[in-house]
Amino acid sequence: MLKVIGGFFAGIVVVALLVYNYAGNLMFREIPSPFGVEETVARIQQNIQNAGNGWSLSGLRNAAKPIEADGGNVLPVLMIEACSTKYSGPILKDDSLRFLSNLMPCKISVYKKSDGKTYIGMMNAELIGSLFGTMVGGIMKHVAADQARFVVFDASKPAPAMIKGTPGAASGGSGAGAAGGC
Amino acid sequence: MLSRLKFILPLAAASALLAVPAAFAVPAKPEAMIAPQAQTTPQVQAEAVGKPKAASTGDHSKFKELQKNFKTGPEVTQACLTCHTEAARQVQHTKHWTWESTDPKTGQVRGKKNIINNYCTSPVSNEKDCMACHAGYGWKDNSFDFKVEKNVDCLICHDTTGTYRKLPGDAGHPVYKRVEFPKGSGKFVEPADLKKVAQSIGMPSRSNCGSCHFFGAGGNGAKHGDLDASLQHPGKYLDVHMNEKGLNFSCVTCHATSSHEVSGSRYNVAAAVEGPAHIRGKKDESPAACQSCHSDKPHHESRLNQHTDKLACQTCHIPLYARNEIGTEASWDWSQATIMGPDGKPTASKDSAGRRKFDTKKGTWVWDSHVIPEYRWYNGVSTYKVIGDKIDPSRTVQINEVGGSPNDPDSRIWPTKVHRGKQPYDKVNNYLTVQHTAGEDATALWHNFDWQKAIGTGMKTAGLKYSGEYGFVDTEMTWPITHMVAPKHDALSCAQCHSKHGRLQGIEGVYLPSRDNNKWLDLAGWTLVLLSLIGVLIHGGLRIYTGKNKGQHK
Amino acid sequence: MNTVNRIYLYKRYERFWHWSQALLVISMLITGFEVHGSYHLFGFETAVSLHTLFAWTLLTLWAFTIFWQFTTDEWKQYIPTLKKVDAMVRYYTFGIFRDAPNPFQKTADKKHNPLQRLAYLALLSMLSPVIWGSGLIYLFYAYWKSWGVDAWLNLEAVAFIHTAGAFMMLVFFIAHVYLTTTGHTPTAHIKTMITGWEDVD
Repeated sequence: MLKVIGGFFAGIVVVALLVYNYAGNLMFREIPSPFGVEETVARIQQNIQNAGNGWSLSGLRNAAKPIEADGGNVLPVLMIEACSTKYSGPILKDDSLRFLSNLMPCKISVYKKSDGKTYIGMMNAELIGSLFGTMVGGIMKHVAADQARFVVFDASKPAPAMIKGTPGAASGGSGAGAAGGC
Repeated sequence: MLSRLKFILPLAAASALLAVPAAFAVPAKPEAMIAPQAQTTPQVQAEAVGKPKAASTGDHSKFKELQKNFKTGPEVTQACLTCHTEAARQVQHTKHWTWESTDPKTGQVRGKKNIINNYCTSPVSNEKDCMACHAGYGWKDNSFDFKVEKNVDCLICHDTTGTYRKLPGDAGHPVYKRVEFPKGSGKFVEPADLKKVAQSIGMPSRSNCGSCHFFGAGGNGAKHGDLDASLQHPGKYLDVHMNEKGLNFSCVTCHATSSHEVSGSRYNVAAAVEGPAHIRGKKDESPAACQSCHSDKPHHESRLNQHTDKLACQTCHIPLYARNEIGTEASWDWSQATIMGPDGKPTASKDSAGRRKFDTKKGTWVWDSHVIPEYRWYNGVSTYKVIGDKIDPSRTVQINEVGGSPNDPDSRIWPTKVHRGKQPYDKVNNYLTVQHTAGEDATALWHNFDWQKAIGTGMKTAGLKYSGEYGFVDTEMTWPITHMVAPKHDALSCAQCHSKHGRLQGIEGVYLPSRDNNKWLDLAGWTLVLLSLIGVLIHGGLRIYTGKNKGQHK
Repeated sequence: MNTVNRIYLYKRYERFWHWSQALLVISMLITGFEVHGSYHLFGFETAVSLHTLFAWTLLTLWAFTIFWQFTTDEWKQYIPTLKKVDAMVRYYTFGIFRDAPNPFQKTADKKHNPLQRLAYLALLSMLSPVIWGSGLIYLFYAYWKSWGVDAWLNLEAVAFIHTAGAFMMLVFFIAHVYLTTTGHTPTAHIKTMITGWEDVD
């Protein structure tokens, strides 16, 4: 009997360790891009603009800039910020969920690694959303589905120009680009 | 990075959940934090507006020779030469004037005048455009007289006003009349006040050198990758020496010059300087090399110093080149030139980062930023393809064969930029062609988009036979990387080379611990280890087995 | 188990030497094979630094030990003998499985059996010079040029010899650890090496 109980708890510990070890990887996705950093960004931006569902670009950040300003070198990291009022609205209206604005706007990062190749990093919106109840889970499921389309590229189309900063806003960073104010 | 996240995230998630009730209990602070990258710092113009304390003992604005309303560049030069009697002749001995360079080891005569590169290819027959970057006036064709002293351009290197500009098409003369440039852009270039320019000359600054060297191949950063306009106001991250807020070196701090002879050139690279730091000024002992100031044992740690017999400083200290958004050209494909847009007219397009991608005049380009160098053994000597040299079109043609080998004591492993090209060649005579690209005449490629005519005129001007049949051949040009030295904490770490698939994967002739091993020794060694493990296990097992059989009687 | 005589076999310094040397050799094997590229553990840079640090520590330890060996006459323990070697071989290949008595009785004057003497002598006179010689030459790579040896010496050969030595050391280590279990109980020899006292029937 003791063995059974012991085994049960050992199993719990093992599962907990596995979750602890892999949870991070589950919450994020990294995929290689067939294009360079700028072209990848430009194509994702174009996909976002054509996505419908209330999506708009809210900014483009260059995370390498502050490090360079500080005298250090880091490979390029660009973060595309996008927002859909259709999805953000219901969450932001609910007082018990407003803290989730921490996760807004949606971010997709595009970066180069030391192998010289370009990668795309995304949050697993569906999994993270499912941690916060059915309403958020349902919304984030749609977000995840849209996000997956953002990184589908049609190489036969010419490369669009990268949109720097926030369209319609004064400078870079997440401004008031989207009407919903996310 | 993800591995670190996997520790932080569960923690963060847990604390976020805990923090929610707390957040409701405590009223939020009204101050808003502004992300640093959201702020835009206005670029501080470094060029001093007021005159700094002059290093010179003469104030040129007070010289009576310069109180004239100069009409042309040569007039200014004549005025300069009244005092600086030897200056023109000194300049006439340099590459900046001759566009020629003789290899002291091989005797080969190279230089822009004689080689065909895989960017704009050759200035021959295109002098009127190309000579915008000649330190002289009037080199418009083969008839240019290299002995005329007044045709030396003093101002392009010594102007401090930033108003003196030379544009393509004027054979090296500055702008004398207000002109739209580029044509159809709606932007205009004003002529410089030559009197004012002549009165405010000074030592060459970054912008003097940069006006040509930052824009090689006709675009910012296009040619070199380690030289572009970002070096005008570089941060510490980009160039630890030229950092405006730090050492603030100008180009000539390292490229020490005497008698107008500028030290340091890719044609004759001091690739393997040894010994202690030099005393600057001692002739021939002061190359534009890192070691001139740092010596060949610059590190506190001796283990790092013992790398200097195989590695150039640049290999570790310029981990990537073109470390900015400007980037550099990775390739130039001339075979795409003359292709018209859908409307049958010449067209041009840019890539996602706004850099030239296609132009009916010139073909297609691929750009890259933050580029990993390609590493080569290099002894400072390159053998160039000069006009008329035979090529083997079945293989990628090396515009310059980089000299050096692992066993050569004068060779080091160098970082290089390799620029890939596709350019025209004579299919019968098997040499690269000279083409007449620039100009408004009937055979210029950029005017008529006819390769046959352009090559015909180019070859005739170069004095080469043209069979009438051209094709396109793949070419490579190798450039040692030496600028944009990163701060020391950004140098390559040991394991970036000392590993199986590291930076120096393709470098042969040197034993790198961790990258290299003798596979037979490893096989024999691990087999022996395995056998002894099996041996002791069998021996031990037998002891236990026989011991049990006999029962324990001790 | 009637009368147990205890003899004091290993003096305090000797035990200190043995165990610190054991620790250093193991650490050097671990870091050394990482430098060799066999696996990733500390990272190349750290592994190199540790390996070098351990090397100098071990050399220091040896300096003291050589002094100790000669001042205490303990060096004579390593004088080889062929007497009873055949008996020892027979014991390890047959006798040990039949519970036959060990043909060698340890005394304070003769701590090592004839096979051990041969093995340790080989270790000291052959393997050690190979590892230390190649290791020091490796370490002083920066000076090859000023010593004028760079013309005929290359790193690849030095690394080859050093790695070969390391493999032999690893094999010695495996055999050595196993043979410690061949006392009258599996842990008897280890206990002796810790306390210094050996039980003698």
